[in-house]
Amino acid sequence: MAGWIVLGILILAVVLIVSVYNQLVALRNRYKNAFSQIDVQLKRRYDLIPNLVETAKGYLQHERQTLEAVIAARNQASSAAQRAAAAPGDAAAMRDLAGAESALGGALGRMFALAEAYPDLKANTTMNQLSEELSSTENKVAFARQAYNDAVMAYNTGREVFPASLIAGAAGFVEARLWELERAVEREQVKVSFA
Amino acid sequence: MDFFQAEERAKRRTGWLIALFSLAVCGTVLAVYVATRFALHLAGKGVLDQLWPYFWEPRLFWNVAVYTLLLICAASLYKTRAVSASADAIALGLGGRLLDPNTHDPHERRLLNVVEEMAIASGVPVPAVHLLPAEPGINAFAVGLDPSRSSIAVTDGCLRMLSRDELQGVVAHEFSHLLNGDARINLRLLGLVHGILVIGLIGSMILRTLRAGDSGKRKLNPGGIGAVVFVGAALYLIGSVGVFFTRLIKAAVCRQRELLADASGVQFTRNPAGLAGALKKIGGLDQGSRLLAARAEEASHFYFSEGMGRWTSLLSTHPPLLERIRLLDPQFQGALAGGQLSPVALEEEVAGVAAAVPVSRAVPAPARSVVSSVGALGEQHIAYAQSLVARIPQRLRESIREPWVARAVVLALVLDRKPETRAAQMNALVSVGDPHLADQVARASTALQTAPVEARLPLVDLALPALRRLSRAQYTQLRAALDRMIRADARIELFEYTLQRVLLRHLAAQFEPQGQLPPAGPPMDVAMALSILLSMLAHAGAADSAEAAHAFEAAGGELSPGRFRLALLARQQCDLRALDRALARLRETAPRLRAEVIGACAAAVATDGTVTVAEGELLRAISDSLGCPMPPLLPGQGVAAIRPSGGAARARAG
Repeated sequence: MAGWIVLGILILAVVLIVSVYNQLVALRNRYKNAFSQIDVQLKRRYDLIPNLVETAKGYLQHERQTLEAVIAARNQASSAAQRAAAAPGDAAAMRDLAGAESALGGALGRMFALAEAYPDLKANTTMNQLSEELSSTENKVAFARQAYNDAVMAYNTGREVFPASLIAGAAGFVEARLWELERAVEREQVKVSFA
Repeated sequence: MDFFQAEERAKRRTGWLIALFSLAVCGTVLAVYVATRFALHLAGKGVLDQLWPYFWEPRLFWNVAVYTLLLICAASLYKTRAVSASADAIALGLGGRLLDPNTHDPHERRLLNVVEEMAIASGVPVPAVHLLPAEPGINAFAVGLDPSRSSIAVTDGCLRMLSRDELQGVVAHEFSHLLNGDARINLRLLGLVHGILVIGLIGSMILRTLRAGDSGKRKLNPGGIGAVVFVGAALYLIGSVGVFFTRLIKAAVCRQRELLADASGVQFTRNPAGLAGALKKIGGLDQGSRLLAARAEEASHFYFSEGMGRWTSLLSTHPPLLERIRLLDPQFQGALAGGQLSPVALEEEVAGVAAAVPVSRAVPAPARSVVSSVGALGEQHIAYAQSLVARIPQRLRESIREPWVARAVVLALVLDRKPETRAAQMNALVSVGDPHLADQVARASTALQTAPVEARLPLVDLALPALRRLSRAQYTQLRAALDRMIRADARIELFEYTLQRVLLRHLAAQFEPQGQLPPAGPPMDVAMALSILLSMLAHAGAADSAEAAHAFEAAGGELSPGRFRLALLARQQCDLRALDRALARLRETAPRLRAEVIGACAAAVATDGTVTVAEGELLRAISDSLGCPMPPLLPGQGVAAIRPSGGAARARAG
């Protein structure tokens, strides 16, 4: 009889472990999927920026440095995004991406601030369309980032609660990192919105 | 055969299956008992001759029976739960990747367009679409217990080797699996096979542990070891034999379902050449339809075409390829193009849809007054869906695949035309807390102005895949925003109710912890539920109470006479919460009664000779709530009763 009880407990334990494991896999897939949503928007944004700079070039000839800074920041963010897409949730990759993104935000902010001084540029339709597209994409990034953070939070909670906490580490479910914004840069970005 | 007959038949067939499986399980229990008895005898070093007189020991038998049954039940329950938890799990388990609704890859775009058309045409929300990128063979499958949580997956070969018509044929085949509820039967089969499989697994586990234990030189008496080896071997054998027989049953059922899906797939597209072409390409391809993923067997019965190499046709989950082709194309000589196929060149897909498939190809429709049958769609529905999609502004159609836009569009759909109500609704939106939301909804509303009125509900269908990708917090916010907007003018309009109903029904499956939201209040009497539903509909389309009484009368005539005592409720008594409860009650009734109910609803709406767009939408939402997806009502179509033998309440929709 004791043998049967032990067997029963063993089977129960196996079933429990398997279901906890599957649950964790589902949560991990969800946040990875959520990252791919951000990724799509980021790519679109990186495609828009060179066009924007190209249009602005004709007007901002004396501001070459600012424009180059935007392109450099864009390239850096783009490669950071590629690394993050390869390993969403990875702490180093996410920190790099968040940093590169806020640097890009800052560079763009400076460019728009300069543009304020050039009425011709402000009246340019292409420029208006592009910056409209850009701000709409930025909203979408913000929305997708919120979804990503929610999914990461659900995953992190899922792997920390008992009994998942017992197997999460051993089965390779490492903590995923939220995409946090650096407050100072974020404020700066708001201040210089292109009116 | 209509949807309800199919559902009824599927239920009967499930009954048969359970009987057959019970037999298999009984056999398994007996075999396990015999094995245990022998093993105990061996352990006691008995001589075989002395065994027979004591062979039957009821106590031992009951012990064995209880534990075996518990094991089988636990294993099959576990499997059923694991698979039903998420349709995505199966596709992801096979190496699938969720297609991004915004994809710019032309092949993926084409597939998504085909799926969207088929979804609008059948009134089923757009399912998630997965691609199995590592599979060069041509195959596809559909999984999902209910349309709100279903998923369609295709292999890379399917995506690239098939022409648009062939792809449409394959997708139509998969949709008919979804509509016929095959996934439900398949799931039960899968669970039961797994239950018996576990017995074999335990046997092989025992044998393996023993082999590992040999090196440890454990002190067991030889008879004991012999007995354990015997039990292990016997369990392994019993499991294997049991699995073999249960697979035979499973395969036989699956083959029938496949033929049915082929037939309805052709019925949907009216283009046998498409489906036949896809099958011919499978026959001609070296890789055929075989899947490479290690876990491919698990979902074998879901596939479009045989996914595994089998050594006997009895175990095939699909009828022979040549037979399927011949059924679709009687002139087929059996010559398949051999060797390698090259990917097809793509036609222009940018305009989205209608351009690629000339509507004129459709066979002459038998009559305009087609009986609109639930769960079945004809080629005119697909043509209609294509023309409807084409009339939705392209920018809107593309951007609605993004969660951010989809959310705004859905909210913009409930914006009122009256400026003062509109202002109240916008104020309600601001109170939800997202600063960008109100602005975004206003923009979406401008974009919506150019979309046709009939496209309102289909837009919700199109928005659903994107909305499923919201996070839970974002979903809660959307629900709150929708609720506040609807209540802003202190009255709920029929369309608002319809939209909320459709939206929440399909999203709740994913976001609410307990699945569907159960309506508050005690369960309702069926007659009461019917009275509420039909009174509601009678009042909705009627100018005065006499007209409503007339419509109610007509609706009652569609139900079996004398079965229910119905009473027309006054307009004030019909509130939407009661309607929610009534629908929840009716959802649980037998398919045949539900068919009558939908027939009665159609009659209630159609007695005054006109079916407005709003009434049509409400009718579809009710049908959807009752678990019967209904294709859109076509302009000029006769809304004959949906019941097979139904009366002829005719009306012009639109």
